[in-house]
Amino acid sequence: MAVWLVRRLAASIAIVFAVITLTFFIVHLARGSPCGPSQEQPFPPEVCDTLIKQFGLDQPLSVQYVRYLGQLARGNLGRSFALHRPVADALADALPHTFVLALAALVIDFSLGLALGIYQAVRERRFADIALGNIALFINSMPTFWLGLVLLLVFAQRLHWFPPGSPSNPVLCPRLDSAYCVLDFLWHLALPALTLGLVGAAATARYQRTAMLEVIRQDYVRTARAKGLGERRVLLVHALRNALLPFITLFGLTFPFLLTGAVLVESVFSWPGMGRLAVDAIGQRDYPVVTAAALVASAMVVLGNLLADVMYVGADPRIRVPGA
Amino acid sequence: MTFATWLALGGAVLVALLGVEESRRHAMKSVAGRRFLRHPTAAPALFVLAFFVILALAARLIAPYDPIEHLDPAHLANHAPSARFLLGTDPYSRDVWSRLVFGARISLGIGALAMLVAVTLGALVGSVAGYFRRWVDAALMRLVDVGLAMPRIFVFLMAVALWDRVALWVLVLLIGLTGWFGTSRLVRAEVLSLREREFVAAAGALGAGPTRIILRHVLPNVAAPIIVSAALGIGNVMLLEAGLSFLGMGVASPTPSWGNMIFDGWLKMEVAPWSATFPGLAISLVVMAFNAVGDALRDALDPRKEAR
Amino acid sequence: MLSIRLPVRLSAGAALAGVLLFAGCARKGGCTGEHCGTLMIATAGEPDILLPPVSEASITRDVTEQLFLKLADLGMSGNTVGDEDFQPRLAERWEWDAPTTLVFHLDPRARWQDGRPVTAADVAFTYDAYTDATVASPFRPNLRQIAAVTTRDSLTVVFRFRQRYPEMFYDAVYQLRVLPSHLLRELPRDQWHSAAFGRAPVGDGPYRFVAWKAGESLELRADSTFFLGRPHIRRVIWRFTANPQASVRLLTAGDADAMEVLVTPDNVQLARADTLLTVYPYKGNVYGYLGFNLAAPGDSTKPHPLFGDRELRRALLMAVDRQGLLRNVWEDLAKVPPGPMSQLDWYWDPETRELPYDTAQAARRLARLGWTDSDGDGIRDRDGHPLAFRLLVPTSSGSRRQYARLLQEQYRTMGVDVQLDEVAYSLFIERAHTGLFDALLNGVSTDPTPASGIPQSWTRAGFGGSNYGRYENPGFERLVDHAIATANRAEAKRTWRAAIEVLNQDAPAVFLFAPRNFAAVDRRVTDVTIRPDSWLALLYTWRIPADRLTDRDRVEP
Repeated sequence: MAVWLVRRLAASIAIVFAVITLTFFIVHLARGSPCGPSQEQPFPPEVCDTLIKQFGLDQPLSVQYVRYLGQLARGNLGRSFALHRPVADALADALPHTFVLALAALVIDFSLGLALGIYQAVRERRFADIALGNIALFINSMPTFWLGLVLLLVFAQRLHWFPPGSPSNPVLCPRLDSAYCVLDFLWHLALPALTLGLVGAAATARYQRTAMLEVIRQDYVRTARAKGLGERRVLLVHALRNALLPFITLFGLTFPFLLTGAVLVESVFSWPGMGRLAVDAIGQRDYPVVTAAALVASAMVVLGNLLADVMYVGADPRIRVPGA
Repeated sequence: MTFATWLALGGAVLVALLGVEESRRHAMKSVAGRRFLRHPTAAPALFVLAFFVILALAARLIAPYDPIEHLDPAHLANHAPSARFLLGTDPYSRDVWSRLVFGARISLGIGALAMLVAVTLGALVGSVAGYFRRWVDAALMRLVDVGLAMPRIFVFLMAVALWDRVALWVLVLLIGLTGWFGTSRLVRAEVLSLREREFVAAAGALGAGPTRIILRHVLPNVAAPIIVSAALGIGNVMLLEAGLSFLGMGVASPTPSWGNMIFDGWLKMEVAPWSATFPGLAISLVVMAFNAVGDALRDALDPRKEAR
Repeated sequence: MLSIRLPVRLSAGAALAGVLLFAGCARKGGCTGEHCGTLMIATAGEPDILLPPVSEASITRDVTEQLFLKLADLGMSGNTVGDEDFQPRLAERWEWDAPTTLVFHLDPRARWQDGRPVTAADVAFTYDAYTDATVASPFRPNLRQIAAVTTRDSLTVVFRFRQRYPEMFYDAVYQLRVLPSHLLRELPRDQWHSAAFGRAPVGDGPYRFVAWKAGESLELRADSTFFLGRPHIRRVIWRFTANPQASVRLLTAGDADAMEVLVTPDNVQLARADTLLTVYPYKGNVYGYLGFNLAAPGDSTKPHPLFGDRELRRALLMAVDRQGLLRNVWEDLAKVPPGPMSQLDWYWDPETRELPYDTAQAARRLARLGWTDSDGDGIRDRDGHPLAFRLLVPTSSGSRRQYARLLQEQYRTMGVDVQLDEVAYSLFIERAHTGLFDALLNGVSTDPTPASGIPQSWTRAGFGGSNYGRYENPGFERLVDHAIATANRAEAKRTWRAAIEVLNQDAPAVFLFAPRNFAAVDRRVTDVTIRPDSWLALLYTWRIPADRLTDRDRVEP
């Protein structure tokens, strides 16, 4: 087990390293520079040259690559041209927001998906199952940002039930220091998380419905029923325990989806997360930020998969650790 | 909308219906076909797809206006749907319905072509990896791991930074090049199991080279999962294109795509929601149809799956 | 089958508890009196770095305006000539020791927000930083007429100029925001562009910095010991949104109190109809134009195949119905400028001679140049080449995109084929900079004086800079230099008019719009004075009277 774990870890690190190299070379070809695009009026040429020397952009590519690796090892992700601060700082500010959004979306996704899946499995083939199934399919097929736009328009602007974006109310809650502020934060989080969560929930529901149906037909459930245990207890205890396994697989699959969806949803709801940071950086050709965001996103995906694998092996004793 | 275009629209609906009926009759003759049609959403999904494909193909007949022509920027911008403009006009006084119809060409075209690239590449890589195994397999699968590690949208954010303007064919190629990883894993798994079968060994014994074996014997048997993943994948491609256009990085104006129609209409969402709503609905419907068809196909083509 | 009663009960209970918590624990404040109030400003975009020499973004300037003082500030008249119309700020008085020597006496009450006094050494240090090549400040060119800045004692600063000219005082005071030398002296100049100070600045202005949440908001608090008078509004908070429309939505929902520019006629109408908002019109400092590239795209040594021809440009200018287009896009919120000027520019003379709108004459001139529709395709051509060009437009500006399409239509009726290149803003700037365009739709924000803007955009000095079209005319430049050197305002205006008329005859651009700005501020805020060149310059005089305080205003930071 330990050997397998070490190997998996090493493989993950290797993947991240490959991603680092790939992103560096791709983005570097974009000729992003500290002058020009981010300014309203562009700098005069001699000012530009000074800035280019400052950021070391006149060195050959290989030199810059080595320098970049060294900096990464020290935790230095470079300096952003447009934001005028270290990239690591900007990411440190933005990452928690993406994290919270993804987490909330995950919670909504899984709880809604599970509830829906169970309900559908229990009502198999009846009208409720078919209707809900189709609605879920439709929502799963929507572009996430479009759903976000519609929700924003209807619930935030027309009905004023939710605030139109941004994580907090800067007047009353500059810090999360009271129960009121936490609730306020959740209120602001509701729409973006719902957008991301709904689309995922539809997929989860389909998955869970299948899993639930399989479990319902299994022998040990029939045995439990025959023993006379209450219907509800049988389903909830035995079925859920086994239905939870797909969750772990889903966790690994949903993570990339959430990160991708977060980029779009953050733009719609002005959520100051990593996705919005990356999109703004593209507009300014601020390549240190773009590289760092791509790296962090990949690292998160790899970590998510690693976690999922570990959880899977740990959770189901029937699965033998892959030998070779 | 003129009488001719109404007629063309009606004709499109009719042809789609007839086409679905015909295929239904053919499908009922085979076991797989019957399994396919057992899904209640399969036939309606086919109809939706047929309808939009006909729209795309017969765009010139069905669309009443030129999709890129500004009809009257001064007076005809942001008009509500009416008899003249079936789905209204967008902020630049272009007919939304005509743009939707022509947009079907671009969006569906990008979906199909990109998927073709992805599936071809994925099938090739997967079969090579599965057939040759050992270091070829290891190397290729490491590549796949790296590819799966990067969320697609970040790859595109970086790619857009490379080129000032992404030409359409470049966009298609890029989407294809970033979408083959899943397919390759699928194919590889199938090939690994098929490899042990007798007919492959027999072919090898008769002197057939690896290429011939892969192309003639292995791939046809892997066709089922490939087709299913292709059907499901087109939906993802269309959603990706929409997302990229929303960020301003997809298909460039004035060529209409459903994604950049949402981009153009977004800012007027409160006063004129139709410009952004209808393309979004179209995307949702088509993607849903592809998903439904993919599901049904999966059940139909996979002989090992238990009937439910 | 499955009962769902229990979960429903649980969730209902949780919801009730949540509502109670929400209502009961809302932060209450007890601020009363004349110095309360929270002003929330909705803005698209975010400041980059709060270090004045490094940034020229206008949103950054709005914030640093409250944090750092200048020696003296522009008056409401906007007069940049001489020193009579300037208001003392950091400097309590000044005098001219010699024709090119200006002496400032600093107010001894001035303090940095960490308690240290503001000294002449700070001013000298500031000048040094602004003109340092390593810092590479975008304001450096504006200070080139100043030869040296020295200190006579701790409260006396001496500016020496290279020569005498009308706007000496303006150049000395307008750009320099005095910095705390004791906090920045040790910082290496090459690190100024990402200095931590820029994210937590210490200033000497009416407001002090509180907090900056990246991507969300920035908060300032009034300095109750400010030596020029305590500001009335206690807290100022900028809220960052994704685009101007989102800002307008915040405003109309009551979640924001002020917005700099409402931009579109729709928004202005919306704000005017809103009973809780007051709309404040003020002169805009922007003008927009259709610029021709006089040099060949990609090779500035050769003239442009079409627009190198002065007669063609003049004909194309006459084909545009500028008034009609303006009414369509801006309705009554803008004017057609008679040249490269915004409504703020004092040299705006409606009598300035320009080429008229005359499609018949334009058609005749085009025909005379050989541009006729010989193949009947609706587009004029000559020697087999069609009269066609590409128009570069940034997707970030809704008004410019509209103009682009209207211009395309107008030119089509004239037999000119215009294709649109709509690109992202950063790409637009890059292509404009490198000359890779035929024509573009550009917007320029002007300074209070034309002395820097006009040469930067329309003379040889602007080659490689803002003069994207590479227009030059020695006669025009001579008149411009003369106008800049003229002290008498009326005479200067006449000279400027003559200069603009020369430029208009050359038709390097079609000047399309100069909008009026409309700010929207919540009705409860009184004493709102907006100085057109910097709308929040007088923020410290705005008030929220004690009887109009809302709950939000009473919250104490």
